[in-house]
Amino acid sequence: MHSASDNRDQIIANQSQQKVEISPPETWVDRYGNYLYAYAMSRLRNADAAADCVQDTFLAGIKALERFDGSRDIKFWLRGIMRNKIVDQIRKSIKENKVDIDNEDEALLESFWFRYSGIATTNPDPWQFNPRKAYDNTEFWDVFNVCIDKVKQPARQAFVLRMLEDMETEEVCKVMDITPNYLWVLLHRARQQLKVALEEKWTGKDVK
Amino acid sequence: MFTCKQVSDSLSKGDYAKLPLAKRFFLRLHVKLCIFCGKYNRQVMDGQDMCRHFKQHEATNCKCAPELQEGQKDELKALLATESAKYPKD
Repeated sequence: MHSASDNRDQIIANQSQQKVEISPPETWVDRYGNYLYAYAMSRLRNADAAADCVQDTFLAGIKALERFDGSRDIKFWLRGIMRNKIVDQIRKSIKENKVDIDNEDEALLESFWFRYSGIATTNPDPWQFNPRKAYDNTEFWDVFNVCIDKVKQPARQAFVLRMLEDMETEEVCKVMDITPNYLWVLLHRARQQLKVALEEKWTGKDVK
Repeated sequence: MFTCKQVSDSLSKGDYAKLPLAKRFFLRLHVKLCIFCGKYNRQVMDGQDMCRHFKQHEATNCKCAPELQEGQKDELKALLATESAKYPKD
């Protein structure tokens, strides 16, 4: 008669044996190349940088393959590696074009209200349409993807790292070499610009 | 009690979920009572929600996704074949 702990041990052993099939690296380009490239493009918005990221990801994946335990789909494992490569690309881009605080942002950072509350605007404009009603429409997300392009650097980099890659505030500040206060300002700018772009493209009206 | 600066810091970092229950209660109370923090909270929440939905869409379907060109794919395949040979399978 098997005890409860014997059964539990058997279940754990079975689960550890149910590993995902590991596709050989020779097949990765056809299987995952476009997926990873699309992901890199949505974050970096630069075809050359995205292609470099894909190459670096595959090469790093080959080196690390023997440490991969097969516990999840290799596509997502490669995407995890790619995430680090994307951050490296952004860090490199920022080193080449150092983030300079423009006059408008500097004024905002110095404003009494921002220093007191950490809030950039007390009265955000209401949406011209209800975005939640568009969430089930796949076209909306294609438009959203295009509108991210309308967000100017460095706000776009801050948006990608914080909102799309879910990096912690401290990490983003380290990568971009900025203070947390300036990160809040950049995210505020990103939200504003994305909102204007979405309203224009989705409703077809020039809202400026 | 929280100041507006502490609330906006917490909302922006998204770490309010990690706060102890009592602090989370006072943070929520401040957001309910303070017009400015209430509006800011909505902005931040809406933004996070929108990005979450976007990432779900990315993971499931993206018909207009850019693709690698055939020439790029061929170069990559050749490179991966060379690299793989350096790490023979057991």
